[in-house]
Amino acid sequence: MDLALAHVSKNFGGLRAVGDVSFTVKTGSIFGLIGPNGAGKTTVFNLITGVYKNDAGTMHFGGHDLRPLKPAQIARCGIARTFQNIRLFTQQTVIENLLVACELQKRAHLTAAVLRLPVHFEDEDVMHRRAMELLRVFDLDKVANESPTALSYGNQRRLEIARAMMLEPRLLLLDEPAAGMNYGEAEGLKTQIRWLRDTFLLSVVLVEHNMQVVMGVCEDIHVLDHGVTIAHGTPEEVRAHPKVLAAYLGEEEDEGA
Amino acid sequence: MTSKLGTRSLNPKRVAVLSGVLVIALLLDLFLKDVVPDSSIRQLLMLAACNVLVALSLNVINGMAGQFSIGHAGFIGIGAYTSAVIASHLHQSFGGGEPTFARSFIVVPSCMLASASMAGLFGFLVGLPSLRLRGDYLAIVTLGFAEIFRLIIATAHADSASGSGPLARIGAAISSLGGQNGYQGTDNTGIPLYAGPFWIVGLVALLGVVAWRIKFSGWGRALRALREDEIAAAAVGVDPTRYKVTSFVISAAGGGIAGGLMAIMRDGLGIVNPDNFNFQASFDAITMVILGGSGSVTGSAIGGVFITFTVKAIELLQGSSVVQDLRRSFDWLDLNALRMIIYAMVLIALMILRPEGLLGERELFGTKRS
Repeated sequence: MDLALAHVSKNFGGLRAVGDVSFTVKTGSIFGLIGPNGAGKTTVFNLITGVYKNDAGTMHFGGHDLRPLKPAQIARCGIARTFQNIRLFTQQTVIENLLVACELQKRAHLTAAVLRLPVHFEDEDVMHRRAMELLRVFDLDKVANESPTALSYGNQRRLEIARAMMLEPRLLLLDEPAAGMNYGEAEGLKTQIRWLRDTFLLSVVLVEHNMQVVMGVCEDIHVLDHGVTIAHGTPEEVRAHPKVLAAYLGEEEDEGA
Repeated sequence: MTSKLGTRSLNPKRVAVLSGVLVIALLLDLFLKDVVPDSSIRQLLMLAACNVLVALSLNVINGMAGQFSIGHAGFIGIGAYTSAVIASHLHQSFGGGEPTFARSFIVVPSCMLASASMAGLFGFLVGLPSLRLRGDYLAIVTLGFAEIFRLIIATAHADSASGSGPLARIGAAISSLGGQNGYQGTDNTGIPLYAGPFWIVGLVALLGVVAWRIKFSGWGRALRALREDEIAAAAVGVDPTRYKVTSFVISAAGGGIAGGLMAIMRDGLGIVNPDNFNFQASFDAITMVILGGSGSVTGSAIGGVFITFTVKAIELLQGSSVVQDLRRSFDWLDLNALRMIIYAMVLIALMILRPEGLLGERELFGTKRS
């Protein structure tokens, strides 16, 4: 399922956070959304996931029109995300963080849980097994019953990805997954992102400042600056694009001044 | 955790516990009169059990869901009036007489079902608009709702129901509830008190288990997640409005059952009065939950019992000769009025010593979460 944004805009009061942004994320691709701080990258994520409503433009994911949907419904469509400032449920254990994310896949709901119907236990069994499998994938199975606050920063980031994967998404939005990672960890992240895509056959959109990760893993890159598109293309094309260089390094006139 | 699930169906231990509760409830129903000859103490015990239900139900929305409802008395009141009316009319159709145990199997379940549905319906009507919004709207709306409910009942009288049409009919129905003087059954001789200890113990056990299972279900997990971070919970598919409104309806329905039981409990007063459901009653309910530990099922139950006994103790102290003697020289001395101050001091002490309440979110007996 492709994610298609067309002429999407979002203003906060007089501030144009996102202006007329259009791009398409092809099924199964790894897509980079980059730009300097304040370029509107996270706002685009918040628009896709329904945290904000776009003022103009259309957003489609497969056959779904995303604009009228609420965040929980968008998650149901198969779009999962992580957050720039990690948002884990710190009052619950690591595995419970994953289990929260599978409520909507359950066949058994509240009544079944209260009556302890067989379907409730079957669901819990299946969800527990899936959660443990995912925790093993992210090497977090040994801390399954710990509090997320006890985890290292990198592990918290990985836990957030694991929680997102619990939704069995078709599209995974990662907001600065490499923030705070060292060279080795970032290399590991690249492998993991590729592995996720290949194993679960999903599309990945990556907001990232770490160029080592972006250039290494993305097949398609979209560059924003001050809410507008300044470049789009393969890593090689984007890297050589004069506007991108200007946005990241400053224009020559600026340096002279 | 998974290994435990193997022994999940009707194991002998569970059957034993279940039949044990039934036997105790039945014995209490038959012999409580002989064990506790003083009817005011029996009344207190029954009231304590009802207040456990009050606390358990309020805990669902205030503790588990982390929303703040300060109008629980409104739902308790709706439940109380519903059960009072239905019990009275059923009793009348049975031809009056003493409320028998056999008849209670028709009266009590119908009353409870009606009270729960009625309170739940109002919970939905109040909760849907206020819980769609983030923030403290629920507190404001629930407070207003409880007071409106109380004042409508208290101020309705026969001449407010003139004319015809649906509005007048509703007016007539409300004014038949006795207004400020309270409702005392169809012929004003008192509400038939059908709910003996069997029903009270049974319902406390049943709803205690329900509350427990709600907390330790995936649904309870989602509620906790929502309470902590609404945006993150929504991003993994937990619909905030749906979960909050559902828990509010559950909470209201539970409050309705508690109120219904209070109205028709044996050794009760045989009267429901709008003043029983004033802000003080809502505040008592909040104190129960906070004192015991928001989010804890057993903690709330303890809070319910504790507050019931504290209220009674202060009443007794007020009636004691020492205080009465003192009152002759200091006529301002009114311990019932001082209750708010005593509560406030207890709560302040608790905030300092144990900000999370007696038990916090933990439970009395151990269990693994999820």
